[in-house]
Amino acid sequence: MSKRILVVEDHEDNRQILRDLLASGGFDMIEAENGAEAIAAAEANRPDLILMDIQLPIVDGYEATRRIKANPALKAIPIIVVTSYALSGDEEKARLAGCDDYVTKPFSPRQLLAKIRQYAS
Amino acid sequence: MRDGATIDTPPLAQAAKKRGGLFRKYIVLFVAVVCVALLSNGLLEIYFSYQELTASLIRLQREQADAAAAKLAQFIDEIQNQLGWTTQLPWSPGSVEQRRFDALRLLRQVPAITELALLDASGHEQLHVSRLAMDVIGSNLDLSKQPAFTEAIAHKVYYGPVYFRRESEPYMTLALAGTRRENGVAIAEVNLKLIWDVVSQIKVGEHGDAYVVDGHGRLIAHPDISLVLRNTDMSKLAQVNAALHAADDPQIEPVQVGDDIQGRKVLTAYALVAPLGWFVFVELPVAEANAPIYGSIARSSILLLAALALACLAGLFLARRMVGPIRALQLGAARFGGGDLKQRIAVKTGDELELLSDQFNDMGARLEESYADLERKVDSRTRELAQSVEELRALGEVSQAVNSTLDLTALLATIVAKAAQLSGTEAGAIYVYDEDRGEFRLRATHGMSKALIDAIASEHIDLQDTTIGLAALHRAPIQLPDLNDAPRTAIQEAILNAGFRALLVVPLLRPEHIVGALVIRRRAPGNFTKATIDLLETFASQSVLAIQNARLFSEIEEKGHQLEIASQHKSQFLANMSHELRTPLNAILGYTELMLDEIYGAVPERMHGVLDRIQSNGRHLLGLINDVLDLSKIEAGQVTLSIADYSLEDVLQGVFVALESLARDKEIALQLDVPVALPKARGDERRMKQVLLNLVGNAIKFTERGSILVAAEKQGEFFAILVRDTGPGIAVEEREKIFEEFHQADNSATKGKSGTGLGLAIAKRIVELHGGRIWVESELGQGSTFFVSIPVNADVKLEHA
Repeated sequence: MSKRILVVEDHEDNRQILRDLLASGGFDMIEAENGAEAIAAAEANRPDLILMDIQLPIVDGYEATRRIKANPALKAIPIIVVTSYALSGDEEKARLAGCDDYVTKPFSPRQLLAKIRQYAS
Repeated sequence: MRDGATIDTPPLAQAAKKRGGLFRKYIVLFVAVVCVALLSNGLLEIYFSYQELTASLIRLQREQADAAAAKLAQFIDEIQNQLGWTTQLPWSPGSVEQRRFDALRLLRQVPAITELALLDASGHEQLHVSRLAMDVIGSNLDLSKQPAFTEAIAHKVYYGPVYFRRESEPYMTLALAGTRRENGVAIAEVNLKLIWDVVSQIKVGEHGDAYVVDGHGRLIAHPDISLVLRNTDMSKLAQVNAALHAADDPQIEPVQVGDDIQGRKVLTAYALVAPLGWFVFVELPVAEANAPIYGSIARSSILLLAALALACLAGLFLARRMVGPIRALQLGAARFGGGDLKQRIAVKTGDELELLSDQFNDMGARLEESYADLERKVDSRTRELAQSVEELRALGEVSQAVNSTLDLTALLATIVAKAAQLSGTEAGAIYVYDEDRGEFRLRATHGMSKALIDAIASEHIDLQDTTIGLAALHRAPIQLPDLNDAPRTAIQEAILNAGFRALLVVPLLRPEHIVGALVIRRRAPGNFTKATIDLLETFASQSVLAIQNARLFSEIEEKGHQLEIASQHKSQFLANMSHELRTPLNAILGYTELMLDEIYGAVPERMHGVLDRIQSNGRHLLGLINDVLDLSKIEAGQVTLSIADYSLEDVLQGVFVALESLARDKEIALQLDVPVALPKARGDERRMKQVLLNLVGNAIKFTERGSILVAAEKQGEFFAILVRDTGPGIAVEEREKIFEEFHQADNSATKGKSGTGLGLAIAKRIVELHGGRIWVESELGQGSTFFVSIPVNADVKLEHA
């Protein structure tokens, strides 16, 4: 059974790229467009890995990460923050929220896939 | 009264004693003068009386000697004369009896002759008569060889040596030749006892004596018979010796003082007994002769001592008379000098000294007066100075407050309070002019009741028809010495009611502007002094400064606030822009990479190239975004260095490894020259690597042929790093500009070179953040060398910065 990856991303093109990338890598992909959806999807689907954008409507990525990591049932799921927040301190904030890794946009699909394989194998 | 002066200051007296030899000098001088006079007088007198005494004694002695000599000469003459009779007749046998008769008569008449012998012309004794023996007639003894006979024949008369009979009686043989040869010679033995008597009779003082010596210096007669009997030779005595030779040499002076036979010093004189060649000496011991002199000396000494004592007393008295007042003057002068100007010197000698002391006292009095005057002046000046100091201090405080306090209300309150206090008035106020509304508004008050403040605040004070307005319009202070005399306005009424009578208005002015007015009010009517007005003007200018400062500050604060907001907006804008640009860029780069990876199926060769171009341009755009963000963060001061120890060599090696392939692709030799023992650096390793990557990357980018050298070494407290390329070089006018944002050297060589144009600007800022320096040396067509100089320990530089 292939691994399930929850992609939290509000930008359609970027979701499409991840869709294509993960499909090529042999992963199943669950999608969420905001933080609230992400939490719900995580609870419902128990993915093997979450790729989390930060700037999201309703509930932002930091908050969603915090909530997921606060849930004992979900806290073991690795979360890779994939964000265009590249300012100094952004990574720190994400780490504080509980993420396991941090990738800035624009990312190289090839390199991101390698990282996904590292966490979800 | 003690010497006409009273002195009672022990310390000064001691000082005077220490220095004051005047008293002693007086006494010594006085005594010396008296002593010298008396002593010289006494000595002269003694000397001359000694001379006189000696001369008179000698004269007396000589007279005595002369008398004795005359007596002796007469005695001998007598005998000789008598003896002459016996040689009157020539010898004939018949005349013996006659002669005998004559001889006996002679013996009777002349007791001194004890024997008489008559000799005939042949020297045979014909008759010998003696008092002790029988007469002998015709003995015919041959005495022709006897000196008595031969000498008498030769010299008419012969005096034999003195001899003694029975060890006590002096005798002498006296022979006399007759006038004719045939008369023969009479030889008499003469008893010289008479000489003794003569000598003994001569009384010279107590212990003086007389004696007689013969022509050879032998003693003939002397009171001490034993000396005579011992046949004493007196010629060794100086006076005798002189006398013996005087006959031969008239140059020889008679000796007046000599030693006698007992060794005593004697005054001596002599006389010659002419026929005999004897000398009568009369001598007096010097000790006795000088006895009167000694007496005189003793008397003189006593007199001298008495005079000395008298001189001492007189000197003491006079010195006290003289020195006492002088010392009083000296002590008085010393006390004047010591600052005691109240004392008066009491010298009542009635002479120049008293005049002098009066002058001293007069001087003291005048000094005291001028001192008092001086003190009054000093007091007055001190008060003025204190006032000035007070004013200065107040102004200083105000000035300091103006420069440190931004609370304008409190500041103006302080100024008006100080102004009122220093001008000696009871109340004051500061008005600020509102140019927009054209009126003065009360801003700070001092010493004013609430009622008065309210009364003034409720009034509209404009430039027209108010004292404040007039002062401001005329740009000069206005004073109202008495409000009762001034035209009444509502405000002045209120002020008058509050109990103030005089006021002074000083306008607060700037060139071309009216700022406000400073007013002080006084309860007492009267003019304000020029000093007060000057002071108030100073306060007014301080008030202007304060008001200006406050206005400026509020403007600056406002501007600062706006700037801060703008800065926040900018940061937010940059963050948003970065985010908003990255999101589409992510899609572009993402799709491109996926296509290149042929996720969407095989890609024809031509499309591969296009996709590469898309990817390259996308990455360039990303680089731009990153650099803009970086630069803006650095400029906003949001970048702080992460200072840690690092190895510059490792950094350079990292750069070398990262860019080696790039250089190799362009077939450019990349050389690294780093000394083995380069010390640890301290700074931000990541940022320094960023700088060096940029420099070396640029060098590779702009160099088409040749080589690139990267070298580093330690120079003192700095690392000197150079990156040298053989590229196109940079024109002089470009060398500074290339470190500015978005500036690439504008020449054909740079055309088409990708680059954000921000790398060197960022590198420059990073180096400067480290406390270092970056610059370039270049020659067109020859290549460029970039130099970086950074402190070995950036910590130190940052602390110093």
